[in-house]
Amino acid sequence: MSNTNISFKDMLVKGALIFNPVLIQLVGLCPVVAASTTLAGSVALSVALFVELTATCVIASALFKKVPRWVRVPLYLIIGLALICPILWYIETKTLINISLGMKIYIPLIAINSVTAVHCEQFAVKNSVRHAFYDAAAVSIGASAVMLIVGATREIFGSGSLAGVKLELPVIFKGMAMPFGCLILLGFMAAGLKAFLNYRYLGEDEAEPDDIQEAEKILDSGVEEVEIFDEFWSEQTEEEQPEPEEKAQPETKEEIRDSANEDIEDFFRSIGIDYYEKGDEQ
Amino acid sequence: MKIISDLLMTALYTVFIQNLVLSSGLGMSEAIRVSTKPGTFGKFAVMISGFSVVTSVLCSLIDKISFMSDVTYAVRAAVYGGILAAVFIITAVVARFVFKASPKFLGTLGIAALNTLVLAVPYINHSAAYSFADSIGSGIGAGIAFVLAAALISRGSAILAENESIPEVFKGTPAMFLYVAMLSLAFTGFSDVNLFA
Repeated sequence: MSNTNISFKDMLVKGALIFNPVLIQLVGLCPVVAASTTLAGSVALSVALFVELTATCVIASALFKKVPRWVRVPLYLIIGLALICPILWYIETKTLINISLGMKIYIPLIAINSVTAVHCEQFAVKNSVRHAFYDAAAVSIGASAVMLIVGATREIFGSGSLAGVKLELPVIFKGMAMPFGCLILLGFMAAGLKAFLNYRYLGEDEAEPDDIQEAEKILDSGVEEVEIFDEFWSEQTEEEQPEPEEKAQPETKEEIRDSANEDIEDFFRSIGIDYYEKGDEQ
Repeated sequence: MKIISDLLMTALYTVFIQNLVLSSGLGMSEAIRVSTKPGTFGKFAVMISGFSVVTSVLCSLIDKISFMSDVTYAVRAAVYGGILAAVFIITAVVARFVFKASPKFLGTLGIAALNTLVLAVPYINHSAAYSFADSIGSGIGAGIAFVLAAALISRGSAILAENESIPEVFKGTPAMFLYVAMLSLAFTGFSDVNLFA
């Protein structure tokens, strides 16, 4: 499973963009949908997620490789709470920072977020500490980017302000601050990301050979990760997993391009996004 | 009799008026994932309701201790999270060593127990000052709300998959987000909120 050649840049592109936890993998929706209603709140949630996810993944990678899975999962919750609660307690009692009631409830819920369980279980405990940290950092950055965009947009249109500064808007749509407003926004953001990925990695006319090589390098580990991500939700035990088929290595640039495109299309199909057949491309 | 009526009213309120998944986003990732496996809905309803009821009842009892009346939310989070982790570990140990449960079953148990929905129920009980019967009702309601949301998402995603008129970039995840948004809007309608200022 470990791929010692993969760099942080590759993992950042993979974890934050191609496999964005919120927009592509549909994990960690609770803090985004329920709590990211202001920019300040989104910053607090992003910091909490980064600290909790990176620390839990590093600890899981260092210590939990031989612990049974059903024991590991509650340990992630305990570690998450052990990290978040002292920080929240310090802010509540020792500083003058005013945290809303919603934040006091939703920040601890980060500890039980599905992002943590999925990435600890399917990546951290099967890889080195360094790669577990890279993966957690990349995923946190991807989720945080979504939270910050969502928080700022919801605050502008839902409250008529940004970072607490009042804006002169002709109408305020309070629905943006509600979960359905966030989900509509996420739908358009997911479509935008999908269009970008389509243009960047699947558009044969636009893609440069270097892009294809880059995509293939990223997907070498990425497709594997999505397969194991699905395994987490499919409730299959390791014994029930079929042996993966050996792939013939592409040699020419055209073969590399086709191979990368097929891998990307397979990946998107595996997460429920049906791309059009090659002959139907616009 | 009043206890039963309180319990039922709170359960109905939690399922329909304040559907915790669709109106609050709690456990939404799990509901979307579970929606792809309609055969597991009953199992998840029982498990989530069970964990929610046990956790919220234990948290209600702990809340009655005078020490808990004026603790910070950080301490409350640690106590509630610790109770949930303990409930899961005890259940998993009993299932594993007494009933010889398979790793597959324990995996399902973990998804059902350790999610934001189950941990949020004690907070809701505390902030709404629910009674003991209300706490049981909200726990049961959380499980039913989860399965109702998963069933609605499941049916909608099947219809979306057959719809050829959806633009290519909106197929899949984006369409799913927009569909869940419409469901969420429908449940928001029960709560009598004004959408425009």
